[in-house]
Amino acid sequence: MRFVLRRLGFFVVTLWAAVTLNFLIPRLMPGNAAIAMMARYKGHVNPQALHAIQIAFGVNNHQSLVSAYFAYLGNIARGHFGISLTFFPDTVAHQVLQALPWTLALVGVTTVMAFVLGTLIGLVSGWRRGSVVDGALPPLFVITSAFPYFWLALLSIWLFSIKLGWFPESGGYEVTTTVGWNWTFITDAVNHSILPALTIIVTAIGGWILTMRNNMITVLTEDYVRMARAKGLKPWRIMWTYAGRNAILPNLVGFAMSLGFVVGGAILVEFVFNYPGVGWMFLQSVENQDYALMQALFLMITVTVLLAILAADVATAILDPRTRERG
Amino acid sequence: MKRLLVLLLAVGLTAAACGGNKSGGSAGSSAVTISNEQGTTWTCGFNPFNASVSFLSFGTEYEELTYVDGLKSGKTTPWLASSYAWGNGNKTLTFTIRKGVKWSDGKPFSAADVVYTFQLLKKYPALDLNANWSVLKSVTQNGDKVAFQFKTPAVPYFYYIADQTPIVAKHIWSSIKNPTTYKDDHPTGTGPYTMSSCSPQVIKYKKNPSYWQSGKPAIDTVYYPAFTSNDPANQQLASGKAQWGSQFIPNINKFYASKSPDNHYWFPPVVNVAVYINQKDPVLSNLAVRKAMAYGIDRSKVSQVGEYGYEPASNQTGIVTPTFSDWLDHGLAKQVGYNPAKAEQIVQQAGFKKSNGIYQTPDGKPLSFTMINIGGYSDWVASAQIVAENLKAIGIKVTAENLSSQTYDNDVYNGHYQLAYDGNQTAGPTPYYELRSLLYSKGSAPIGKTAGSDWERYSNPATDKLIEDYAATADKAQQHAIVTKLEQAMVDEIPVIPVTEGVDWYQYNTGSLSGWVTQGDPFARPAAYVNPDWGVMLLHLKPKA
Repeated sequence: MRFVLRRLGFFVVTLWAAVTLNFLIPRLMPGNAAIAMMARYKGHVNPQALHAIQIAFGVNNHQSLVSAYFAYLGNIARGHFGISLTFFPDTVAHQVLQALPWTLALVGVTTVMAFVLGTLIGLVSGWRRGSVVDGALPPLFVITSAFPYFWLALLSIWLFSIKLGWFPESGGYEVTTTVGWNWTFITDAVNHSILPALTIIVTAIGGWILTMRNNMITVLTEDYVRMARAKGLKPWRIMWTYAGRNAILPNLVGFAMSLGFVVGGAILVEFVFNYPGVGWMFLQSVENQDYALMQALFLMITVTVLLAILAADVATAILDPRTRERG
Repeated sequence: MKRLLVLLLAVGLTAAACGGNKSGGSAGSSAVTISNEQGTTWTCGFNPFNASVSFLSFGTEYEELTYVDGLKSGKTTPWLASSYAWGNGNKTLTFTIRKGVKWSDGKPFSAADVVYTFQLLKKYPALDLNANWSVLKSVTQNGDKVAFQFKTPAVPYFYYIADQTPIVAKHIWSSIKNPTTYKDDHPTGTGPYTMSSCSPQVIKYKKNPSYWQSGKPAIDTVYYPAFTSNDPANQQLASGKAQWGSQFIPNINKFYASKSPDNHYWFPPVVNVAVYINQKDPVLSNLAVRKAMAYGIDRSKVSQVGEYGYEPASNQTGIVTPTFSDWLDHGLAKQVGYNPAKAEQIVQQAGFKKSNGIYQTPDGKPLSFTMINIGGYSDWVASAQIVAENLKAIGIKVTAENLSSQTYDNDVYNGHYQLAYDGNQTAGPTPYYELRSLLYSKGSAPIGKTAGSDWERYSNPATDKLIEDYAATADKAQQHAIVTKLEQAMVDEIPVIPVTEGVDWYQYNTGSLSGWVTQGDPFARPAAYVNPDWGVMLLHLKPKA
């Protein structure tokens, strides 16, 4: 209990620091939202429009940094994230909620899949060192993980959608499909997500395999494993409950963090595949100096990462009695 | 373990098989899909006074009083107004409003809606994107006529009032509490299309069956997908899924034109991309330096190498050719061309001495400048590099600095730069609009203050006077005479150096549709992001029999 409370205290302090930095850093950027907006038009609107946009965005309403900071804290506490200037006049909350399901479905599912698959492959190849599985899979996926993501993604678009025509090359669904909970739309959306999902898994899996395999090898030399063997336990039981359970511990925090980062989206994936998600929105908010949107996204990432770490700490405490005792 | 892998493989293959059947263009013969990367997903807002979404509703839902063709020196076509006339020494503009036009909700359109629209812009300056009320005195209705009174003669403002201001319905907008933050997610307009459905990824427009131009539009559905990056948008064009493109496509002949005999493109030049020269810089304020630079830049090399030949080379007068060729003074255009020997001669005559390959001012300052440009525009980065090489060859050192677009714009608007590689000025139906945005010092601001135009801080009372004189005359011959004098100022004083001519990006597929804008028949600016022109284009499109 004391362990959990101390972790909670740490959580609150980190959250405050993150929220404050979140407020300050965007404001150190040069320019303002109205100028960024004009830049986006590339000369398609009358230069005089700058004046109108300044009025609409209220960029000349000089408010002191201190009062803006307290207004910001108050708004966060009440869950008000304001109006997005990128998607003016839509609210930040509405825009984020629209993009989030796409990201959660794609990046969330692939993160879990990469972790599960990677851990399983690492487990098996660590257990059967020198076998065919160990000789083939870890080196293969370590190599694919080292590929620059955008290169792999472009290559797979070229091969699987342009040359072979198996998958659509971009978007979340076909533009002529009507969005809704019906079979046509769902299969279309799934079909559009396969290529981005595969590229994410292929690039993310290697790290999990490598760490899991190494942990496995270390754990297998421990006395309790030798003890289990001596007791004549079935090999799969030793693999899962003796070696595997201990080998996975160091990976849990890493997995929790990557789960937390899921809500940040995957900027490169969404950019290359023109996939509608939060990661791209993030980039947009920075380019357009859209403080409200930027702060909401940063906050969302910070909170989920912190929560995920908290959850991982608790999970480790449950899986590993030693941490509890020390706490 | 093995079973899991097999299962996953099976799921993957099934999905792949499903996908295989579905690929291929599923758009019917009476639909057009637009491919235009705007770098954003759709907000599904259509407020025509919100500059970030107006291009999605102005032209399709909302319409203008008179259409002005920017590729035919401002040729007018009556639209919601059946005619117009200038009077009172070009200080009164009177429109006769068309009868028989209906809003898409069935209510009749009238002159009262026109007056209401302009009152709305007066009441909410945040909506007045073209600053109409900086020149307007009053807007009044008299039966089916609407009279605009101006503070001073304002002939060029015809373009902004007649062509660039969307007319909205009084019965809808008068009940809106805050029009500035009004989303307008189901716009009611007079135009040929209505919004049928919208998601962040695609907007679907449906034909307005009771449109006032009878029998039009011929295309039932318009799809406008959102693209956040260039490559997927280009791919849609190459694969034929999209028929109308407004894209920069590298190596277009191989990537696009060679894919189908029906794929065509045309890039009409509309506005200059230029080197802005900060006139307040102590060294650059010396005319000899600016002149040497103008002679030192090989514009056709920049065009060929930096811009793949898509953007033709400019000339120093600032007149974009061939779009505005009949405004061009050919003698002036030839006066300042690529001539490195002459460039060096000019600085030598001004008393500059070369040291370590770089000229120095008589008081010992090297001719060494930084030129800012936008790092994200790969073609401009390449072009700026060639400009820098050209200038180095004549003993002027230029360091190109690639900035993010917001840092760049902030520096240009506030005058914190020496040289800038830029195409910020807005195109208009005649060359006057661009020249005014480059030269009119009353649109500028001191260094450190945000300038809406004239970013190089050029100031000459005689030029300002010419710009104001143009505003007072509707006479074509006089307008031409004034523009020639402005060309003279561009050549004599080198406030900026036009390098290449920025174009409207335009690709079109003639497989299932006809009626496209072509070089031979430029009835509208053909880029989908130009409004209200895209509405005019959609009205011309027809399915092929």
